[in-house]
Amino acid sequence: MNDLLIIVVHGIGVGAIFALVGMSFNVVFNASGILNFAQGNMLVLGALFAFLLLPTQPDLLRWFILLPAVAIGLALLLAVQGYVTLLPLRSSVEQHSWLITTLAASVIIGAILLIYQGSAQQSVRSPFTAIRFMGVRIPATYALTTGLALFWFIALHIFHTRVLTGLAISALSQDLDAARAAGLRVRRLQVTAFAISGLIVGSAGFVAAPVMAIANDSGITYVMNGFVAAVVGGLGANLGALVGGVLVGMLSLYAAYEYGGEFQNLVSLALLVVVLMVRPQGLFGRQAARRV
Amino acid sequence: MNRVRFDAATRLHLLLGIIAVAGSILLPALLGSAYWTHNFLIVNLFVAVAVLQNMLLADAGQVSFGQGAVFGLSAFTVGIVAGLWGHSYAAGFLAGVAMAVVLGLLFALPALRVQGYYLGFVTLSAAVVFPEMLVAFNDLTNGINGITRAVPALTTPLGLGLTPIALMVMALAIAALLFHATLRATRLGRRIRVAAVSPEAAMALGINPGALRFIAFTIAATGTGLAGALYVPVLGFVSPYAFRVDLSIFFFFSVVVGGNGQLIGPVIGVWILYLVPNALLADLANYRLLGYGFVALLIMLAFPDGVVGTIEALRRRRRLRTQVTGISVDRVLAWPGARPRPPTQGQAITVRGVRKTFGSLAALDGVDLAVIPGSVHGLVGPNGSGKTTLLNVISGFIALNAGSVAINGTDTSRAPAYRVARLGVGRTFQTPRVLEEMSIWENLEIGADVKGDHSNWLLALLAPFRTEWSENRPDLLAHAQRRVLEVLRTVAGDADILLLDEPAAGLSAAERRDFARLVRFLSERLGKTVLLVEHDLALVWKVADRITVLDAGQVIAEGPPDTIAADPRVRRLFIGGADA
Repeated sequence: MNDLLIIVVHGIGVGAIFALVGMSFNVVFNASGILNFAQGNMLVLGALFAFLLLPTQPDLLRWFILLPAVAIGLALLLAVQGYVTLLPLRSSVEQHSWLITTLAASVIIGAILLIYQGSAQQSVRSPFTAIRFMGVRIPATYALTTGLALFWFIALHIFHTRVLTGLAISALSQDLDAARAAGLRVRRLQVTAFAISGLIVGSAGFVAAPVMAIANDSGITYVMNGFVAAVVGGLGANLGALVGGVLVGMLSLYAAYEYGGEFQNLVSLALLVVVLMVRPQGLFGRQAARRV
Repeated sequence: MNRVRFDAATRLHLLLGIIAVAGSILLPALLGSAYWTHNFLIVNLFVAVAVLQNMLLADAGQVSFGQGAVFGLSAFTVGIVAGLWGHSYAAGFLAGVAMAVVLGLLFALPALRVQGYYLGFVTLSAAVVFPEMLVAFNDLTNGINGITRAVPALTTPLGLGLTPIALMVMALAIAALLFHATLRATRLGRRIRVAAVSPEAAMALGINPGALRFIAFTIAATGTGLAGALYVPVLGFVSPYAFRVDLSIFFFFSVVVGGNGQLIGPVIGVWILYLVPNALLADLANYRLLGYGFVALLIMLAFPDGVVGTIEALRRRRRLRTQVTGISVDRVLAWPGARPRPPTQGQAITVRGVRKTFGSLAALDGVDLAVIPGSVHGLVGPNGSGKTTLLNVISGFIALNAGSVAINGTDTSRAPAYRVARLGVGRTFQTPRVLEEMSIWENLEIGADVKGDHSNWLLALLAPFRTEWSENRPDLLAHAQRRVLEVLRTVAGDADILLLDEPAAGLSAAERRDFARLVRFLSERLGKTVLLVEHDLALVWKVADRITVLDAGQVIAEGPPDTIAADPRVRRLFIGGADA
């Protein structure tokens, strides 16, 4: 019983990280149709900044100042990455180039981590003390990631329905050509979407750092699970990413508990295949509205 | 059998590709450089895999990020069977290729449901999971320790520094290139490409797109498995670390950096991405990955279509033609032969009580239609009356809600479009589904591919234009010519029944007259049954033997043109009677 509760609570906490990556996917995908493969390593970068900038002694004030600073830093980095990614799409008939440029960005970040710290794995100590809930000790980080996921879900909802820029980005997801014809500055909006996704993964990486593996090759796991979260929920739908993320988190922790850590990703893959075979549009996705 | 012919660009790519492969194997061996001999063996193994990845991506349109896992599974199977279990290398080789094919088929399964980056992520996830499974099942795979298995028989030099394995790797890479070039010139290769670029056109040509995806994945997995099986004697060792997701990404990078779809693209891509970081940063192991990432990024920014793709685009622009000899309807009509007319009893198309609803709207509401074999049957009605829906129902593109459809007496109410097409039903679309990625001649050939008969009269009649049309794309053809090309494509496929959806839209008066003659020719001289949906009533009245008038999803009149013209309900529908 206690084990099950731990799996559920930790699963939600880990799943919230996947949900955050999934939502950051959605923001860029809705604006440009691009899936940013570098998102996982960007998350790791956010965590690396926490490792580099946070003192070893708990310092709450510093934590609260650094959180927005790291988020903004990643937003700037992603804006640059987004600008570079969108460059070749203007002139080329070859629309696979974004697959390469985003993957290459991911490879470059991983390579820099490798040069900087070798294949070592860094970890960060949380400045918060663990919470006790129904007799179970919950690391504060899991509560924080869950809260952050909910915060970004609500913020994105308000942004896309109440803020002019957000509405314009939503318009891009409906019909890119019509948006362009209506005089929207598509390129600028798309770069903005990249920047917003940077705010999300930057804050997520910083907050989740104590439970993350900060290593040169851990990004791909977050990309993969974030994508599974987004697809399970329905690509483009943030509510879906939230639910999908939690589902993926709980399943993968159950797999780790029952069979061992090596099987976490296998379970995610199985979930992805099952969802795509049975309900390709995901739990909350619009049914192939744009394909027909 | 039709002899395979390569165009000039293909021949050049093949020549350069073979020189690159053979040269890079032979030269270092003759010069006695062990370092480069070894490196180029790996490069050429990767070339073989990337060539097949190119086929899978560019020809079959399948995004797979998992080819590294296919490669690794084959290599590891060889390691397990020939190394841990102590069987012969030959036994391991066969087992490795077989396992690779199995994994390829597993990749093809989700491809039946999802496409594009969804499929990319499924295969990517598989590539992430694969090495984890190698570690997880360490009882079977020896886990992170890897497996050592030398094959001395293949690595002992024969003379001049050349080993049997070097010759095998060379043969495999060259075979992969030759295979890719040949595949493109064959019926199977064309059909794989049609299924990728236009599933609708493919189904109208009797192609089941899912089946061809399976075939493409199987071919790619077989070749990749062969390369994986050769990896073991080259290295003498397999480790899970060698087959991480990075390897799959490398293969994909190689194709796109070289130039997606360019025959020699994968060779250039592998050379650049493997050799540049390894040669320039040989002493800085940790910086190799960084160099590789930057090379890939910078090349995509500088050459968005890949290195070879960009060069080819420039070459094409230099000898850009603005004109190509058009398809002359007169030339087709001048064909001296004639086909026997089919017996006029029975029905070519029988539609009974067909109902089709979209939400609450009934697009077809109890439609009956009978088309006499060998006749031209006009289908007219105002916009939204259900004409095109009826055409889609007959050709199997839309499932009906109630009623039945039969082709030459065979019930096709539930049959998918490609099966209807195989019964001899050809169709055209409102916007011509001319395949821009193929040459004009190939557009005709994919018609003939329906029955696999390339000696048919139409292709023979147009043979004088073969060379010119083989080197030019249909974007050089005027709109009316594209319409004619699409009709001739179905004729080349020897379809008995032709469904033409607004074929005269956008045609000039003279072009319409030509088109009317072509339609009569199809019926009178070739004995074809034609069902014609058209807004140009004058044209329909001129060519049709019988006419059916649809309004709001129901048949309101049916009969010979004269009777229909006199029908007051029809007159009310088309006031003035000239044009709808």
